[in-house]
Amino acid sequence: MSTPPKPLGRRLRLAAATTLGDLAAWASRRLGRGSGASIRGQILTRLAPNAFEDLVAGRRIIAVSGTNGKTTTTHMLAAAIKAGLGADASRMVTNTDGANLHYGLASALAKAPKADVAVLETDERVVADLIRLGRPEILVLLNFSRDQMDRHHEIKGLGRSWRDALIQAGPEGPTVIANADDPLVVWASREAKAVVWVDAASSWTGDGALCPNCGALLTHAPDGSTWDCPSCDLTKPPVAYRVEGTSIVLPDGSRHETKLNVPGAFNVSNAACALAAAVTWGVDPEVALDAFRTVKAPAGRFATASFGATTARLLLAKNPAGWTEALPLVHTNPVILAIDSVAADGKDVSWLWDVDYEQLAGRHVIATGPRAYDLAVRLSHADVEHDVILDLDAALARCAGPDVVDCIATYTPFQALLKKAGLR
Amino acid sequence: MKPVEIVLVYQSLLGIYGDQGNAKILVNRLKWRGIDAKLTSVEPGDALPADAALYLLGGGEDAAQVSAVNALREDGSLFNAVDDGAVVFAVCAGYQITGNSFTIGENDDVVEGLGLLDVDTRRGAKRAVGELLARWTRPDGSDYLLTGFENHGGYTRLGSAARPLAQVEIGIGNNGDGTEGAVQDRVIGTYPHGPVLARNPALADHLLELALDRHLDPLPDAEVEGLRAERLAFVRRTGR
Ligand SMILES: [Zn+2]
Repeated sequence: MSTPPKPLGRRLRLAAATTLGDLAAWASRRLGRGSGASIRGQILTRLAPNAFEDLVAGRRIIAVSGTNGKTTTTHMLAAAIKAGLGADASRMVTNTDGANLHYGLASALAKAPKADVAVLETDERVVADLIRLGRPEILVLLNFSRDQMDRHHEIKGLGRSWRDALIQAGPEGPTVIANADDPLVVWASREAKAVVWVDAASSWTGDGALCPNCGALLTHAPDGSTWDCPSCDLTKPPVAYRVEGTSIVLPDGSRHETKLNVPGAFNVSNAACALAAAVTWGVDPEVALDAFRTVKAPAGRFATASFGATTARLLLAKNPAGWTEALPLVHTNPVILAIDSVAADGKDVSWLWDVDYEQLAGRHVIATGPRAYDLAVRLSHADVEHDVILDLDAALARCAGPDVVDCIATYTPFQALLKKAGLR
Repeated sequence: MKPVEIVLVYQSLLGIYGDQGNAKILVNRLKWRGIDAKLTSVEPGDALPADAALYLLGGGEDAAQVSAVNALREDGSLFNAVDDGAVVFAVCAGYQITGNSFTIGENDDVVEGLGLLDVDTRRGAKRAVGELLARWTRPDGSDYLLTGFENHGGYTRLGSAARPLAQVEIGIGNNGDGTEGAVQDRVIGTYPHGPVLARNPALADHLLELALDRHLDPLPDAEVEGLRAERLAFVRRTGR
């Protein structure tokens, strides 16, 4: 596929902005202010306001979105597509740093002008624009749950934007790889020209009470295997791929053991969606699964790192669904939980009361971060023994010793941990 | 003696902001004092207990509000319980539905509420999102600061039968007129949502004292005091 010719002025501006952005990103890295991806993107969008539009056009795009699991799924899928390309691997670009808004995508794409295949982790708010301007061939929709309610007041609003964009794109739209366990994903996806449904065996149904189509109360099977709307035609669709334990069953009935190097049932769900996308793209399933196994600590998630005399395994949890996934992975005693509430975390920590911290009973929790007191009060009501150590460094130091300590953090403290560990 | 029963109403519809927290807190504050308590969680289709001490309504989206009103009206027990003297504590969307009327959707369709509070809610000029600080005058005349997080598009006006729960110091509250929440007999509505009782144990104990019709001694708790101090300092520093 070739890029449609752009007016020379716009192309030059884009080239100049890309160079300036690179320079700023380099400076940002030198100053120890992170990867520079977002400053690069900001310069791009300021100097070349059409950068997003120009950069996504003319590429073969696979996009991954959803509230939780985007980063890991994108890493797995990118590894599989790369493996599928073999010697042509440099034809593929991906945003591994997790910068997934307009400028983050523009930034990743600007760095690889010659790559004609792009695997893009895409924020929920950018999906509609990407469908419209980038015409992705494949769109993976993982799940939809409550996240930062202080900014997104209605979960359904974002789902509606996906749905409208898919309707508008019609036959030009993507093939959607969709998690059939999630009613809002199903409602949005069923308007796509083609859908590959995946039974991802998702555990979180806390946000799927009402039918997104008609508002009736959905019925869920007691074992969580299926759901249905009693008053309209929205129901769990028959699936092509399904998760069974740690295996994935393909449409031809063949069963493939995942043997991933990232933990948790939710990563098997992510792998099932990534596998459906890779196979739809034309990658052999075993080649894809082999590639998935090379993913160990995507963007620092699940990484084990040293902080002075303390060794910690880092887990990210951004919302109740994320905590529900992360808490069962905790094996250590003590365990560190870090909570913040700046804009990137969501300013409202009411969600603490929707997370089953009761399962930590018997362990000692170090509550840290600016909202440690909110967590402490929650833990008292869950009968979980704990200390409050507001400062993150002091909390880490408390756990010095030869044993690894598990540490679950919301977005901002997680980024701080990665930086302290030299992982970003 | 029969355990004090606290009913968490329709968590699947009215539980968007960690609203089950208030139920946990109330039950524990009784248990920590050696008073036998029982939490009953009721979903639409289940019968609501008619003789519980305290009923909790939480936050939810528009469609959920309508479903909750319909289900509660069909069930009917909440109205009988209120007539018999039960306490109702309703936050955010739950507060709105206990009123005479509220609006939903982009066209601001007016929906009839439960009529337990003489208040009416209409869409406001701008959504109220952020920390809220309000001064509550307790039954004994002493003042207590209520701290919480509000997130609502509806603005609520009080009729003559309801009186405000508290006076706003920082934030929007009912509608920007300086009042926050509403009280009518033993029904209390308020905007700070979700686990508002975690930050305001005195309000939790006030609800329990109403429900039990007896005085409760305070429970000293350094962590809750730490939380209150941190939140009060934050809202005064940032203004929101
Ligand atoms: Zn329906």
